[in-house]
Amino acid sequence: MDRIEIAGRSLTRRGVLSLGLGTLGAGVMAACSNTPSLPPSSGSASAGGASGSVIDLAAYDAVLAKGAVADASLVEANSWAKAIKARGVINRGGTDTSSLFSLRDPATGKVAGFDAGISQLLAKYITGQPKENLSQVTVDTRETLLQNQSVDLIIATYSITPARQQKVDFAGPYYESKSAILVKSTTTNINSVDDLAGKNVATQAASTGVALLQKYAPKANVQTFDDNPKCLAAVQQGRVDAYVIDQSILLSDVAKNKDVKLVGDPFGNSDPYGIGLHKGTDALAFVNTWLKAMEADGTWAALWKATVGQVVKSEPPTPPAIAS
Amino acid sequence: MQELFTTYFAELLAGLWMTARLTAVSFLGSLVVGTIAAAFRISPIVPLRAVGRLYVELFVNIPLISLLVIVTFGLPDVGVTFDLFTCAAVSMVLLGGAFTCEAIRTGVNAVSVGQIEAARSIGLDFFGVLRHVLFPQAYRSVVQPLVNVFIGILLSSSLAGVIGVKDLTLQVSEINNQAALGLTAYMIAAFAYVIISLLAGWAGARLEKRWRVQR
Repeated sequence: MDRIEIAGRSLTRRGVLSLGLGTLGAGVMAACSNTPSLPPSSGSASAGGASGSVIDLAAYDAVLAKGAVADASLVEANSWAKAIKARGVINRGGTDTSSLFSLRDPATGKVAGFDAGISQLLAKYITGQPKENLSQVTVDTRETLLQNQSVDLIIATYSITPARQQKVDFAGPYYESKSAILVKSTTTNINSVDDLAGKNVATQAASTGVALLQKYAPKANVQTFDDNPKCLAAVQQGRVDAYVIDQSILLSDVAKNKDVKLVGDPFGNSDPYGIGLHKGTDALAFVNTWLKAMEADGTWAALWKATVGQVVKSEPPTPPAIAS
Repeated sequence: MQELFTTYFAELLAGLWMTARLTAVSFLGSLVVGTIAAAFRISPIVPLRAVGRLYVELFVNIPLISLLVIVTFGLPDVGVTFDLFTCAAVSMVLLGGAFTCEAIRTGVNAVSVGQIEAARSIGLDFFGVLRHVLFPQAYRSVVQPLVNVFIGILLSSSLAGVIGVKDLTLQVSEINNQAALGLTAYMIAAFAYVIISLLAGWAGARLEKRWRVQR
């Protein structure tokens, strides 16, 4: 009755078991995620669909190739830019999993998207090469990484808020987005933000979505998950009725999944995305001057068309006004 | 820092309460599941032993975060949908139960074979031996290991926020998102976890002293 395990035997069995388990786990994971489907090929996307990316990569590369390079004297006069030029690469805090803004192509290892484009264009402006060194950030680590200067800047659909402005400087805004509502494609009783009352609504835990729902749909039951795939799965599995977050995020969900749709008009305050910078350096003025120039010469609109414009079928909007 | 205790005090408290509930439910569940699994593992019936062993080997080897995601987002695909708190509790009981089983089994091994033979000789059946001889002594000798299981469950409850259970860690993350407090909010949460862990360790030491088996 009293049995003593022999450690060695137990260990080999454990190895075999965990192997089997890994396969099982992978199977379950595969079963609950959607079969990856290529996005519908859009009119202007020529090379875009090749790797499953929504972005028009040919146009994207063309935008980078045309990006301006700053006068050496201009870079020399700015300590922040000078350090980047000496290093030869810009250290960006960001992500590589956001379809339209910053997505790594597993085949080539290249990161492309609207955010990635802004970063690579700025790198080219300073160093002459569109080279960036991407560090993964999460909503919890962004301010800290800037404060301890682990990265030169953060471009990661980073909303400008007064609380964050106390900790970091924001160049821009370089993009503006409102919030939207995503539901299952079979849902018919949610057509606007007013219909969210009494419904279970998902949003991302560390996002501005929570405060937004409190204001625009105070009667909704807010359910948070920590990232976009989980919020999306919650809608697809009927755990929640709707998912509210920034439209730019929902657009890439809809581009990749046929069983969900966007309803109603975008609502809420427009959410301005800024370029996060270490507070109190000369980086702010440098980046703002560059942003104004690249918006004026059409680079901004071309980048928008190659990335966000592949899903939003309209002419490029006017870039948001840059705060001094 | 100050607004953490003024503006967001209710949220912090709600998070702490959720963490406490989740930990308590999961720990009690783990004790039940772990005891049953331990009984399986020492039973004379070979298939039951195999089941107990498979259970333990399986669940001590899965990271909790995978378990949470599988239970929450995998089970609905086969038609089983629990609410989120239940999903978190089920995941943590599955994991905690496996570790509890191993802790209890250590305690069982500490009981001398002579006692079991004596119990059998006075006519106790398997369950009689378990209930009157093995488990009472086993539990008493593994109080500290069980405290470790408790602390493990407490700390891993911080992952429940991944599936949207508003525990202390998720509340802190949300507060941080609104107020951009940086590391301060997390330090407060870490402090709370340390306090609870220390209290558990202290209570465990007291119980161990009181319940010590005189041999």
